[in-house]
Amino acid sequence: MKKMWRTGLLGLICLLVLMTSMATISAPVTITFWAMTNAPDEVHIPWVEGKAAEFERQTGIKVNFEQIGWDDAWQKITTAFVTGEGADVFQVGTTWNPQFAAAGGLEELNIAEFGGKDAFMKANFESTTYKGKCYGVPWFAETRALFYNVDMFNKAGVQPPKTHDELLKVSAKIVETFGEGSAIALAGTNAWDLLHNWSIILWANGGQLLTNDNKYAMFNNEAGVSAMKWYVDLVRKGYASKACAEYNQPQADAAFVNGNVAMCYMGPWNIANIELENPSLNYGVVEPPAGPKGKASFSGGSNLAILKASRNKEAAKAWIKFLLKTENMVEYTRDLTHMLPAQVEVFADPYYDSGVWKTFKTTLEYATAYPTLGVWGDIENAVQQEFAGVLAAYVNGTYDENTVKLYLNRAADKVNEALKREK
Amino acid sequence: MRKIGSKPRKKTMVFWFILPAVLCMLLVHVIPILWGIYISFLELDLYTITRWTQAPFVWLENYRQIFTSKVAVGERFLRSIYTVLIYGLVTIPIGYLLGLLVALLLNREFLGRTLVRGLILLPYITPDSVAYNVWRFIFQARIGIVNKYLLGLGLIQEPLIWLVGDRALYAVIIASIWKGWPFACLILLAGLQGIDPQLYEAARIDGATGWQQFLHITFPLLKPVSKTLLMLNLIWNFHAFNQFYILLGADPGRAHVPSTFILQEAFKNLHYGLGSAMAVVLMIVILILTAVSFRLRRGSSYEG
Repeated sequence: MKKMWRTGLLGLICLLVLMTSMATISAPVTITFWAMTNAPDEVHIPWVEGKAAEFERQTGIKVNFEQIGWDDAWQKITTAFVTGEGADVFQVGTTWNPQFAAAGGLEELNIAEFGGKDAFMKANFESTTYKGKCYGVPWFAETRALFYNVDMFNKAGVQPPKTHDELLKVSAKIVETFGEGSAIALAGTNAWDLLHNWSIILWANGGQLLTNDNKYAMFNNEAGVSAMKWYVDLVRKGYASKACAEYNQPQADAAFVNGNVAMCYMGPWNIANIELENPSLNYGVVEPPAGPKGKASFSGGSNLAILKASRNKEAAKAWIKFLLKTENMVEYTRDLTHMLPAQVEVFADPYYDSGVWKTFKTTLEYATAYPTLGVWGDIENAVQQEFAGVLAAYVNGTYDENTVKLYLNRAADKVNEALKREK
Repeated sequence: MRKIGSKPRKKTMVFWFILPAVLCMLLVHVIPILWGIYISFLELDLYTITRWTQAPFVWLENYRQIFTSKVAVGERFLRSIYTVLIYGLVTIPIGYLLGLLVALLLNREFLGRTLVRGLILLPYITPDSVAYNVWRFIFQARIGIVNKYLLGLGLIQEPLIWLVGDRALYAVIIASIWKGWPFACLILLAGLQGIDPQLYEAARIDGATGWQQFLHITFPLLKPVSKTLLMLNLIWNFHAFNQFYILLGADPGRAHVPSTFILQEAFKNLHYGLGSAMAVVLMIVILILTAVSFRLRRGSSYEG
């Protein structure tokens, strides 16, 4: 009896092993693709799944699409680095790309396979690099420009500002007409992208975040101080509401989208918001006003990267190439995400010469990317924290002449400390 | 008749019965804890994460950093400990007093007592995520009702910013007291009902006033319950997380407490070594508190 049991069990195990090995031989290649919530679920998921089906018909490669939230993405991807499992190909934010490359989780890519570096917007390509090597392919781009409320501008009798000084004058007029805090909405201490907004002002003031060799912080020099003061002054002079200090970016955006505030630095993705929340809003978009040293904007967006431990790298590359096809990019940016393509060729589509898109396209051409560093996350955190300190000092009533310099110096110390860890 | 446990075969049986539980405990508790302690001695960060088996062993370097106020991470960790201490120092006594007051009231006979007893538990049974999200709205500068009322009563001239800067901690404290006192009330009420009514009767016959009854009967007899309650609160206090994370966001800035800061350092900034070191320190603190609380509880059972 006992023997029969044993033989039976052994037989079962053999059968199972045989079945699984057969399954691996005969099964078509399947890759897992992670992307964030780049567009509303109702349209995003069906679109990607539809494209995946099309891709499978063409190549026989099955794409398993999983949508992940921006909040979880960082952790899920870093977990994939450690376990070597999860996804073969995934979306990474431009500022994440170098950090993940430094972590050794991303496969090095030859950009020539994807059309060469000149096929992409310059700043977006730069974001895929780390120590001169390429670890991703630019997917879509974003940049920030100044949105303004046409009706409020007309009522106040002002034109969209072209320079920082004009923005202050326009704000004063708007506040006269609509009351305190009505001119501009800013993201404050709760904004993860406080730095993105501020760096636009910094660059326009002729400042830069780090020295050219990326060894030391530079944002605490004179240009940095005046940029920060200008930013805080928007609140101090009553152009922006004091409540901005605790806003995160969506709250600042909402103040503009609801029609309560006349201006806001926002990105193309906000257009979908406006269409959804307040379609009657009469708004325009102009390039970010120029500072004393000229025009500047921030370049962000997302890249596609391949997990180093992936067993299906060729299939993953094929999927990236498929997603990057001009018609797919036009659909994805125009109909779904309201982002900008990161590929030069796609901009040939007439759509990007129409309306507000022309403004974004022009802005993107001179937009700057952050330095590509492994410790960038630490830098962003340190800066964010001390910047929040400036606003908090203002809220607490302890803000004075030296506050900005004090906090910027503290941020610089921390950034220098982080830069020493860069390998 | 022989006792069941005296048979040697039965004795080994017992171990077989608890084995699954022991294995589970090892798997989900003991091994991860030991692993975490081991990681706290490694320089495990962004650069070493994918080759974590080769992460350099740095002995106590991580611990040195988190206790050095001149290093960014040390400064923030020490401040987070200070913050959680202040937070506990305010919320625990106030929560206790409120709970005691209401428990005393609810210990009396009145119409609808059961209903009120159920109602006061509402804050306690509301999920943290819901309750603190609501509080977040309540404290919003522009639309929050706190500012609406303060403005309406003429106590302030312009909206206060609650969730940023120095006031952020007050906001969390207020919300946490609201959320925590019903639990204190529940436990103290149970304690009150365990007190023999005859004691009060005797006291009244001897001419004791209400205050004297409280001071010499109620309060001393509530001591064992109070001790347990305070120790529990102290332990919970040290891993306070939800209230800070939900009210103030993923980065509470200067109002970080150890748990939120560990999460950020380890999983957002990918400093696993530093994060583990901080977690180990937090664990030791909590272990000490737990040991003390066991001591106290054992002591109190002799008292009774």
